[in-house]
Amino acid sequence: MNKRDATLSISNTEDLAEVINDIHHYLNKHKEYLNSLNVFPVPDGDTGLNMVLTLQGAMANMTGKVSLEKSAGEYLKEFAEHMLLNSRGCSGVILSLFVQGFANVVSNNNFSKENIYKAIENGYRNAYEGTKNPQEGTMLTLMRAFRDKFYEQMQHEDNPLLIIRDIIPQLKEVLNQTPEMLPILKQAGVVDSGAAGFIILLEGINKELKNHQLTGISIPSVLGIGKTIRKLLKDRRSNLKRDPLLPLILNIDFNRIYNKRLQEVLADARKVFGHFHINNRMSLQKKIIDNLQGIDKSWNPEIKYRYCTEFTLESDHISKEHLIELLNGYGDSLIIIQSNNRFKVHIHTNKPNDVFEQASEYGNLLFTKVDDMKKQHRNFISEDIIGFERDKSVFCIVSGRGFAEILKNLGADDILCYGKNKPSVDQLLKNLNNLKAKNIIAAADDHDILMALKLAISLCKSNVYVVESDNPISLISIMMNMPKDYDITTMFEEAMKNLHNIPFSSIARATRDVSGINGIEVKKKDYFAIYNKSIITSNPRLNSLIEEIIGRFAADSVLITFYRGEKVKNNAELLQVLKIKYQTIEFEEYYGGQSKYDYYITFE
Amino acid sequence: MEKKIFFITADNLGLTREQIDYPHLEILKFPVIIDGIGYRQSDEYNAKWLISKYENENIVAKSSTLVQKEIVDIVEKYHNDFDMMIHVLMSSGMSAASFKVAENVRKQFENVIPIINIDSRQAINGVGNVLLAIIDIMKANPILSLEEIDQKAQEVVESTFSYFVLPDLKYLYKGGRVGKAQSLMGSILHIIPVVGLIGTEKEGIIVPIGKGRTFKQVNSLIYDKITEKMNEKGVSKIKRIISIFGYGDKNADAFTDLKEKVQAIPCDDFIEGKPAIVDAVYCGPGAYGVSVYL
Repeated sequence: MNKRDATLSISNTEDLAEVINDIHHYLNKHKEYLNSLNVFPVPDGDTGLNMVLTLQGAMANMTGKVSLEKSAGEYLKEFAEHMLLNSRGCSGVILSLFVQGFANVVSNNNFSKENIYKAIENGYRNAYEGTKNPQEGTMLTLMRAFRDKFYEQMQHEDNPLLIIRDIIPQLKEVLNQTPEMLPILKQAGVVDSGAAGFIILLEGINKELKNHQLTGISIPSVLGIGKTIRKLLKDRRSNLKRDPLLPLILNIDFNRIYNKRLQEVLADARKVFGHFHINNRMSLQKKIIDNLQGIDKSWNPEIKYRYCTEFTLESDHISKEHLIELLNGYGDSLIIIQSNNRFKVHIHTNKPNDVFEQASEYGNLLFTKVDDMKKQHRNFISEDIIGFERDKSVFCIVSGRGFAEILKNLGADDILCYGKNKPSVDQLLKNLNNLKAKNIIAAADDHDILMALKLAISLCKSNVYVVESDNPISLISIMMNMPKDYDITTMFEEAMKNLHNIPFSSIARATRDVSGINGIEVKKKDYFAIYNKSIITSNPRLNSLIEEIIGRFAADSVLITFYRGEKVKNNAELLQVLKIKYQTIEFEEYYGGQSKYDYYITFE
Repeated sequence: MEKKIFFITADNLGLTREQIDYPHLEILKFPVIIDGIGYRQSDEYNAKWLISKYENENIVAKSSTLVQKEIVDIVEKYHNDFDMMIHVLMSSGMSAASFKVAENVRKQFENVIPIINIDSRQAINGVGNVLLAIIDIMKANPILSLEEIDQKAQEVVESTFSYFVLPDLKYLYKGGRVGKAQSLMGSILHIIPVVGLIGTEKEGIIVPIGKGRTFKQVNSLIYDKITEKMNEKGVSKIKRIISIFGYGDKNADAFTDLKEKVQAIPCDDFIEGKPAIVDAVYCGPGAYGVSVYL
């Protein structure tokens, strides 16, 4: 057993601040890779960015807090609280919960391997329970593996840093398996971006010991490989040897491929291209094509929507663990935040009244909220520390300034226009509290904001109803039909009812080649259109693409509206052409200011 | 004892004289001032004429309150032949001056003939709906006391709901009648506002009902609001619907769509109302709507 350095050598806050700074830099260097692990070839992947900004936000709040009087453990605990408040996106929130749980244990400044193991265990539990929608194949899986591997390795090694260094390769193996755990990853042949981000963080911690390079292959590469193999299969044999892409396929490192199907494709491709005189060439070729088609077909991202139930329980007779056990069977997305004897609980369930009944057996329910309006709504918020100035408000979170203006005009009481960087929990919380409204309806234009929003809500004193929207068009639809003179439950019910009222297509420019999605090839820099969360067409010319889209959907429309992205100029010429071509349809154009998509086009 | 009743109302009621089946009725005409010149409803000066001026000339139109002397003249002319008079007025929340004028006349004649001034909380076809409903009640129960008439009239007022699609709220705004519907103004996005006069709202002012981006959307909204009111009141059949259209030729298809939608609701009496020059001052081109009496 290696007995060197029995504890982690972080003796003061200055050292720790430096380590955190190094980790931040390391993560920052890899953020683009993490961002690229996204589904569509639009520049909207921001897992890496969210993790970096979460760390950055906490670092900014800790400036000047390095002191001799404070221990490293205490410093980390404070840092973790700021991380949580500054967390952005799902990845930022889960990471923050892990660090919070970790820091709570090492706040005693004990950095021995035994205590660090306890801290990892607590971090994992905190993150896992905080996002109780336990999907395997995500960052949570890596956190659990981190705990288990750390425990195994600590039997042979005392230095926590060396333990971490030694288990990183094992964790990468777990990362390799994540596509097998989460169907969407398997189908797309990528690793989970959050899980990959967690390993990069661990690598950052160990970078001075060994500069590991994370391996992995993203969707663009998977699809690129598929495209290349298809092309090679079509080539004449005489041309094949001269094809510069052939050596790439023959020499690709299998360790970087996590998708078993793709591994099989590559193995077969090597046989076909590497040995020109094999007997079963035709059957192998067919197998390759079938497997590639399987990979393409299986790309089907899906977003679920559920009603949510929230309450605050004041109890001295139940632990968080017991409460989790008690409520776990009622639904999913269970989040419990504990502060002394108060438990803020969020759960998606079909039986909110049963949940309240169960919980109330252990104490007082200080407030309850059911977003499913078929159920009886009760709100016990009364004498809270916020002086409420109004009964209800509508809060929208959007990225484009144009959309922000439109929504403001349509009656949103407050808009958080976040530009390119997703808002942090702290930002969201401030905006919610600034409304000073007893009841708030909150809706964002991006699904990835929901987790941070829900965390902010758990800290907010208002009664907040989340409309689980994921695009700015839904927000317009909600605000167009928001009956602000009615009670909050009716307002929320109407918002949910109108969430998907307006059909729309979004148009973006591809950041990479994509082939075979629904049989559609998208080349880098081509424009492509998404409808109902699927790519439906692409074209190198924007106007041609728009005309094609209009042609498809014009028949059922009387009003077609263009919302321009931040970099798109007014396209008056095209509108004129369309108005002449479709004389019974009204065309309107507005500035949306969104960064991801050149256009949102609505059909009404 | 059976009472002989004379009715008074004004021409912003969404109906022509011929559409009101009651012999003892006078319809006052609101003065309309266009660029400083006064006009009254006539074959020549009507809603279509004013809308055409709105569309083609840069004019400013306003309406004035009812002329007290004209009401006095009617009362003096008919009081000897009737037991009482009922004056159905547009909402006092929208024209307090006209209601005050009517009240002045009531007081002036209180020792001569009882006059009941009914604040319809409505305008245009909503006033027409209240008027026709009260006429129906009086025809069926000519022996009602003053108090009973007052009570019945109140029930009618509170059962009347009107919804208007006003493509441009500036006419309502310029005329100072936009009320709470101001919240529908100033949108960057081009929207079609729906406003209403809700009989149960004591203020009797224009309220925002909602908005849409297409006429189909706003028509569905009106349909939903009507059925919602029916559910609230536990009514399965509407007693009377009066539609209104004709502020220019615009939006004829949209109006037809709304008409078809509301005609699908069970109803005892559907009347296609007629606009007047005074309504056109506030509605502007392309406006249309329906009033329902439940």
